[in-house]
Amino acid sequence: MVVAHGLGEFEQLVLLSLLRLGPEAYGVAIRDEIERQTGRSVALGAVYTTLLRLEDKRLVATRLGEPTPQRGGRRKKYYRPLAAGRRELAASIDALRAMTRGLTPNFELP
Amino acid sequence: MTSRFEKGVGPPWLALRLVSWRVPEPDREYLVGDLLEAFREQLLRHSDAKARAWFWRETLNLMVTRWPSAPAPADLRPEAPMDSLLHSIRTALRSLTRAPALTALVVLTLALGIGATTSVYSVARAALFAAPPFPDSDRLMLMWERDPQLGEGNMGYATFQDLSRETAVIESAAAMSYWFPTLNDGSETTRLAGQRVTWKFFDVLGVQPILGRGFTADEDRQGANRIIVMGHNIWATRFGSDSSIVGRNITVNGVAYLVAGVLPATFESLFAPGTELWAPLGYDASLPYACRTCRHLRVVARLKPHVSLSEASQQLNVAHQRLREQFPTEYAGPGTALTPVHEFVVRDTRAALLALLAGVGLVALIACFNAANLLLSRALRREAEFALRVALGASRGRLATLLIAEGFLIALAAAVLGSLFAIIGVDVLLRMAPDGLPRLDQVKVDGMVLAFAAGLALLTGVVASIVPGWALLRGGLQAGVRQGARSVVGAGRHNLRGGLVAAEMALAVMLISGTSLLFGSVSRLLAVNAGFSTPDRLSMQLSLSGPRFADSGAVTQAWRGALAAVQAIPGVRSAALASQIPLGGNFDMYGMHLADRPGANPAEDPSAQRYAVSPEYFGVMDIPLRAGRSITAADHVGAPRVVLLNEAAAAQLFPGGAALGRRLQVGGGDNPYATVVGVVGNTLHNGLDDQEGMQVYMNLEQWEEDGGMTLVVHTSVPVESMIPAVRTALRSTVPGIAISKVATLERLMDLSTANRRFALALFAGFALVALILAAAGLYGVLSATVVERTREIGVRTALGAQRGSILALVLRQGMVMTGLGLAVGLFATWGSTRIISTLLFGVGASDPLVLAAVVSTLGVAALLACALPAWRASRVDPVIALRGS
Repeated sequence: MVVAHGLGEFEQLVLLSLLRLGPEAYGVAIRDEIERQTGRSVALGAVYTTLLRLEDKRLVATRLGEPTPQRGGRRKKYYRPLAAGRRELAASIDALRAMTRGLTPNFELP
Repeated sequence: MTSRFEKGVGPPWLALRLVSWRVPEPDREYLVGDLLEAFREQLLRHSDAKARAWFWRETLNLMVTRWPSAPAPADLRPEAPMDSLLHSIRTALRSLTRAPALTALVVLTLALGIGATTSVYSVARAALFAAPPFPDSDRLMLMWERDPQLGEGNMGYATFQDLSRETAVIESAAAMSYWFPTLNDGSETTRLAGQRVTWKFFDVLGVQPILGRGFTADEDRQGANRIIVMGHNIWATRFGSDSSIVGRNITVNGVAYLVAGVLPATFESLFAPGTELWAPLGYDASLPYACRTCRHLRVVARLKPHVSLSEASQQLNVAHQRLREQFPTEYAGPGTALTPVHEFVVRDTRAALLALLAGVGLVALIACFNAANLLLSRALRREAEFALRVALGASRGRLATLLIAEGFLIALAAAVLGSLFAIIGVDVLLRMAPDGLPRLDQVKVDGMVLAFAAGLALLTGVVASIVPGWALLRGGLQAGVRQGARSVVGAGRHNLRGGLVAAEMALAVMLISGTSLLFGSVSRLLAVNAGFSTPDRLSMQLSLSGPRFADSGAVTQAWRGALAAVQAIPGVRSAALASQIPLGGNFDMYGMHLADRPGANPAEDPSAQRYAVSPEYFGVMDIPLRAGRSITAADHVGAPRVVLLNEAAAAQLFPGGAALGRRLQVGGGDNPYATVVGVVGNTLHNGLDDQEGMQVYMNLEQWEEDGGMTLVVHTSVPVESMIPAVRTALRSTVPGIAISKVATLERLMDLSTANRRFALALFAGFALVALILAAAGLYGVLSATVVERTREIGVRTALGAQRGSILALVLRQGMVMTGLGLAVGLFATWGSTRIISTLLFGVGASDPLVLAAVVSTLGVAALLACALPAWRASRVDPVIALRGS
């Protein structure tokens, strides 16, 4: 059993989008991915807050990319989940699965 | 793919700047990059406006995001001092915008104080501190002869000549005399204010005419002195700024005067305000009115460079001593006096304006304390933040810099807002101000005034933030870390905040008692009986001049005709003529020499205000006859000369009440003796605050006048409506008569109290602001402590404390602060009312009744301010209060 502090829901979404995007995970792409998959509108600020927190908890690693002209020559900051991040995510999702096990698809007792 | 972005549609630059400012560097680059990229995508999908709105939303969102990389590590980095200061200012700005309501309140409070102080300062500066508009004006002095009571007295011509020769200390000097010229340019006859001056007058002042020249020594002689220098105003209004006027003749007092020059518009007639025409005095020592005891000249002197006031005084006193030894019967006073011109101009209003400055300064101080208190409350809530910063390695100096930076920013905002208030305030003050304030026309908000506002703002803002800073840094910040957000407020902080509130209360006591004393004084002043009636009475100055009125018979006929014509107008009850009237601004004093008790030195005899009047005067003015008979028409030029004394003169000259039938000589020289036939009531000549002085009256037909008279009319219809009819009657009866200074006696009375009422109105405003600020301060502190003590109060309630005792707890805290403040304030008031005692009339500096009223007013205000917080405290629900922790 992994001892986890538990991830917030938005933290889970961000970590999952890192996994889906692979090496192309940076701020705008992460936001777009969450918007595309969940249909909710997400502010960049919210993404950054979460990324900063994940970085603080040493769950993600970052690297700076090359400058591109669309961004006025500014470099991108790419994120990738660390092993600890994957473990936390797995634990969170396991917990969810465990809690939903035995319920009907409508989350009712059979 | 290209978008409008490439074609130059950019994100809002302000938003971009905000982001750059808010987000510290390691995060800034990629974040701004992301924003720009996302903005470009927005442009592909949406309109410009929508994209920009999106950018703003993101920006505002980022504003509230906490950037952990921001302040704490920065505090640890050793930085260059400049970086550190800039950084402090940024941090301060961020911290202030995080509590916008409080910041706005502090800025508003300070701005009010600054605005009020600055506007009063700008009025006071023009009146008090601006140097007279003459070159090297610090060397210009008025030179007086001291009278026996050591007051400043005018000088006889011979004395002026002798003292002017003290060239070791005096560079040049000029003597001045009043003159009432009548200007006649064919269509219109106008009586003007003028001065006769010795020829060096304009050189002494250092004034150059803009046209023509001043006077020459040759023109300053009897018979040669029909020369005029005119002021800029009359040149513009009456002569259409015609520059060919110089060298032409104009008709003054019915004879031709040559115009020698025109003065610049900047010239101010400080010694005789309103003067428009100047002519040479034309005296020489042989003239009977140029004698040593003919003391009617005012002298202005320019000292030599580098001669001090005391050196000059000493030298002149030595010279005067020689004169006294040489002419022992001509001199009574002990010497001379010098008054700097600047001092002479401001001394009547100085006390009032300084009191106002002091008053408004107190308001600013209260505002400052209030702001300090608000910031202190805030600082105490930030204790945990500061403790954290210290724990992370920020030095105390760094924290102090941060606090000062906050103060500086607050001061900056307060200065801008305060200057705005000042501009409005000056406008209001100028509308309210009485005419008597010197140089009102020069009052303006200029760089100097704004610098004053800025300096004041800086001082108050920084002081207001240093106090809380000191409180924070002095208290153990380690303790703050341990206690963290539990916000247990130590007793020391209570004392400091309580002290500030008590100080506000004390200042408010001073201001309000000052105001109340002033109020009492003004209402007592307005209740004073001036000795004559003002309702339905009109006064105007008349003058006859020119060859037609050369002999006294013609003058007498003209006055009789004028008076009869006015009395015949329907609606006129009665009318009278007088050489001067109370409140008329004349100062006509004559020596009173008793026939049966001649003094060793006539110059030492007392003098009285002298009125040459027509017999109707006492009826028109409602001056009561106390003994004997009044003056009648039978006391004409051929009859035995008679005079009336007022009660003060009768009592002083003839103690024991034996005035009737006694003989005296009014004025010295060859003046005939006259018999006292009656005693009338006293009048206050110089206004309601005047002392009751000696007065003497005679029939104007028994006294040769110079052709100027004041007409007083008592009407049975509204007095203003009679003015045209009176003018018409006078003009048609006496062609060429000049009419000036038309005013109702009520208006003259108002003017004489205008300065005091103005001061009172301002003080009342200050006192009100002080009361509100002090009560608000008390309320703020109590509210804050109730919030901070919610847990404690909850515990007390849980342990069984009654609502009443909780109520009493908070009320007691408020009342202790109030009581302390009141006590200190009363003590300070006792010492400081001396400042405004020159404005006080008939009130002891500390009237116990007034002080009692002040204390109870403030006490009630304080009680009201305590009531709400106390009630809130008594409603604290222990369950909620304890769960909150």
